[in-house]
Amino acid sequence: NNSSQLSSLPLHILLYVNGIYYIFYFLVTLAMIIYKSQVFSYPDDFLAPDLAVLFLMAILEVPRLYLGFKGNLTEAEAPLGLSLGLTVGSVVLCVYLLLWQTYVLWADVLLNAVLLSAYGLESGFKVTAIAAFIS
Amino acid sequence: VARLCVCDLLVAQCDANCCCDPDCSAEDFSLFTTCSVPLVTGDSRLCSQKAAVYSLDVEANPPERIFKLIDQVNPSIFCIHATNYKQALYLKSPEIPTPENFDQLLEKFGGATFSAEPDSWNLDPDAKDPPEANETSRYEYGVPVQTEDAFLRLPSPVVSSWCSDANPAGFLVNQATKCIRSVSVEKCDSIQALSMLFYINSSILAVNITVQSIVVQSVNGMRTFLSTGDVLRLPMVLDELCINAVLGVNYHITHTDNGEIIEAAAAFVLGAISREALSIEQSFEISFTQENTQPVPVSGNPGYVVGLPVRAGFQPQGYPFPAALLFAALALSSNKHSQLTILQSTSTQDCLAAQGTRAPVLFGYNMISGCTLRITAAMKCQLLAQTLLDVLTGQSFPEYVASFGNSQAHDVLDWVPITQLHISEQMISHTLQSSCQIPVSLGIEVKWTKYGSLVNPQARIVNVTATITSSTLKQLPSGRERIIPITSSVVFTDISSPAEPSYKAWPTINIKLPFDFFYPFV
Repeated sequence: NNSSQLSSLPLHILLYVNGIYYIFYFLVTLAMIIYKSQVFSYPDDFLAPDLAVLFLMAILEVPRLYLGFKGNLTEAEAPLGLSLGLTVGSVVLCVYLLLWQTYVLWADVLLNAVLLSAYGLESGFKVTAIAAFIS
Repeated sequence: VARLCVCDLLVAQCDANCCCDPDCSAEDFSLFTTCSVPLVTGDSRLCSQKAAVYSLDVEANPPERIFKLIDQVNPSIFCIHATNYKQALYLKSPEIPTPENFDQLLEKFGGATFSAEPDSWNLDPDAKDPPEANETSRYEYGVPVQTEDAFLRLPSPVVSSWCSDANPAGFLVNQATKCIRSVSVEKCDSIQALSMLFYINSSILAVNITVQSIVVQSVNGMRTFLSTGDVLRLPMVLDELCINAVLGVNYHITHTDNGEIIEAAAAFVLGAISREALSIEQSFEISFTQENTQPVPVSGNPGYVVGLPVRAGFQPQGYPFPAALLFAALALSSNKHSQLTILQSTSTQDCLAAQGTRAPVLFGYNMISGCTLRITAAMKCQLLAQTLLDVLTGQSFPEYVASFGNSQAHDVLDWVPITQLHISEQMISHTLQSSCQIPVSLGIEVKWTKYGSLVNPQARIVNVTATITSSTLKQLPSGRERIIPITSSVVFTDISSPAEPSYKAWPTINIKLPFDFFYPFV
């Protein structure tokens, strides 16, 4: 039965873990932004973009994960391709939070690095899965 | 970090115990006991940064300073790895004002308070009211009259007789000055003080100075009044004369009783300057009139001022006395001869030659004057009596004297009638013929009182009595002459009653029994 199954198990596991990790990441990053705004001098013009990026990333994450699951399970390459595109957007936002945030704490660096590596691995698996589905 | 030193306060001098001071030499370091600033770092929350460590090695002889540059690491997970916000860790150096950004900086920081945030709450710049354009300013006595750029100037001689243009005109201070100005006919149209514009150019705050009248004086001194009075005539060179040069200015300022100036007019005397003239004399005058009053010179406000003439007047003919007192107004004239005047002594002391010059009676100044009369046998008595009366009392002796210095002509009750007394010195002579009497002396006694508050008493005339003393003229044998002295005097007597003290009312005890004090019984 393994030969006829094209869905990628590692991709599924990764997507599942990604979802849980992302919830954790979102909450921690939000808490840290609140902490930074209290401890440091954080004027409103700088706080607004950071919060916007975080929420945008959260909004992107939900369809991204859903499409990834669906594409992998139904072995359709279109949802997987769309998910890949959304991943690119998420990567950009993650890089922003890593490099261009107002205050980049050491914890921020750790969290974003882990998320980036997860995205990288995911993208690799998705590409492989798409290649497997097409052929 | 190596260059930062918090304890380096004195410039070019070594601060004590300051190990990071660059002005200190090795000998200075050997005298230190400790380092007051051991560590110089940036923000301590940064994850990794350079730090300068200063310490004293007391073991060595002499003690020396040790300077180390180390990397300081913050182990906390919440240390700042990087920041994209410049002001987070460093104080923002203020902008140096330049001509371009000066206005903007002044607007931002020029007030009493300013916010560190960029200005986002200037939502309604139109909410400011425009400043009052016609803010009338009230003047007090003596305050310089303000114009748009400076003060209203009345040129006057200062140290010498040359005109100085810096004399400001004081409010309610009537002044008349004369001064000399140096001129040259070639440049007469460029000398500002000779043109009319110089005197009417500046407007007294909201009031423009209008040209009231122009009188043109010719070279030989004859003056003609111009009918087209408000044409501006500027000096210009014509033939060899400079015409339309200002020789005199007379300002008339009208004010309200609140001290606001409502009108200003200037009357000019223009003349011609000949080529040989190197200087001309200019005369300036300013007078203040209260609105809706006649411009009668007042002698005080309201009480008489010592030294100012006593104001007098007549009741106009045709008004039946006393009913008309309530409605009539006194006829005042500014003619000097119908004011209260007394005889003025001359050098010749001859009464008959002294007619004409009279001295005004000034409030508070007791005066006595006189003349001598040569009587010959040929003089007619009646004529002599009439002449002497004229000499003593003047052409028209007034009937009323103003009670206050600023009494208006229409307040008849404010005027005191002059009581005239005739005393005749009846010389006891055996011939009881009704010989004629000639007046020999006039004594005016003015009784005045202090009126008003104790701290600022005003002088008020209460009573005026003019006493004419006559004496009998004895018939002279023909050929002989007699010389009779004639005197007139003015005496001011203060009849003010002393101030009465008054006491505060004693406090009263106000006891009332309550309404139901005797309750069960009443």
